[in-house]
Amino acid sequence: MTDPAPPSDRDLGRAAALAGLRDGGLVVLGYIPFGLASGAAMAQTDVSPAVSIASGPVVFAGAAQLVAVQLLGSGAGVALVVLTVLVVNARHLLYSASLAPHLAGWTRGQRLAGAFLLADPTYALAIARFERPGGGGGRGEQLGYYFGASITCYLGWSALVAGGVLLGGLIPDWVPLELAVPLTFLLLLLPLVKDRAGLTAAVVGGLVALAAHPLPFGLGLLVGAAAGLVAGGLVLARQPEEPDADPAPTGEAADA
Amino acid sequence: MLDALAIALSGLVTYVTRAIFLVSRRLRPPRRSARYLPLVGPAVLGAIALPGIVAPTGEISLAETLPALVAAVVAALLWRWTRQLVIGLGAGLAVWWGVLALIWALG
Repeated sequence: MTDPAPPSDRDLGRAAALAGLRDGGLVVLGYIPFGLASGAAMAQTDVSPAVSIASGPVVFAGAAQLVAVQLLGSGAGVALVVLTVLVVNARHLLYSASLAPHLAGWTRGQRLAGAFLLADPTYALAIARFERPGGGGGRGEQLGYYFGASITCYLGWSALVAGGVLLGGLIPDWVPLELAVPLTFLLLLLPLVKDRAGLTAAVVGGLVALAAHPLPFGLGLLVGAAAGLVAGGLVLARQPEEPDADPAPTGEAADA
Repeated sequence: MLDALAIALSGLVTYVTRAIFLVSRRLRPPRRSARYLPLVGPAVLGAIALPGIVAPTGEISLAETLPALVAAVVAALLWRWTRQLVIGLGAGLAVWWGVLALIWALG
């Protein structure tokens, strides 16, 4: 408080990393029931515990891991499993496209490392921060927050799945915790809804995903997201374009 | 062995979906789509959150849906007020448990 010097880039980066660690840790807390339950469900299949546990750090996408292990357990071939995972995880294409303009100042190595950790909660935390006015700070702050949050989620999720596989039903059935994950995503969604188009995308995406929920392999999520994008896009297309609203940089910003 | 191969390849295709638009600045989503990219977050997160809130255990019924909806509204209002994720989440879960207990007590 008495220090008149402005904080250095390093201090800002460290503070951002701590903020990421805190937010990521909170998300991991919300994931405790789903992570343990997913691991416990995998343990019920014929797939070896080692492979089930490895699916956490290798795939790092809950629904896809669960579907993959259950398909393997029912005797499905490698090609079917991999194709199904590709479909279930196709939403990551959208995350990648959506984050690309924000990460334009990162080196290629940083972007490729970041991509490995780009799961649902990573995207939700990162986009909420980077879409703030000021874009979540300079490159050092962006990197600090992104990797602080995503590595926390990565380690936490992998540990929860492993715990679930090894220890089975750690949480008794009568403790209701199913709402923790959807509630977390609702709270991560709220800061992203800034106008009518965003609200339309969220509401239509949610309602269509709900209607399409009976589809196998979590495909309802993909159908809902696509419908939300189209509906929000239609609202946006009817609004006049703001000339300076696009955050995407036009030139080659930096190295790599 | 084949199981391990399937998981390894699943990790690989997942990585490709995550990295594809981050690999090179030349490989970008089409320019005309740039204006619509901010809608990705609301659309995908809405599609993840809403089904889980309306049907937390997989079925839509008054006894399942109502407590979760009340909890979601309380969580959203508290978040608007405090801007703290942890407060919204904690209060939402507490309200959910409270309403579930009330329904259970009333039979």
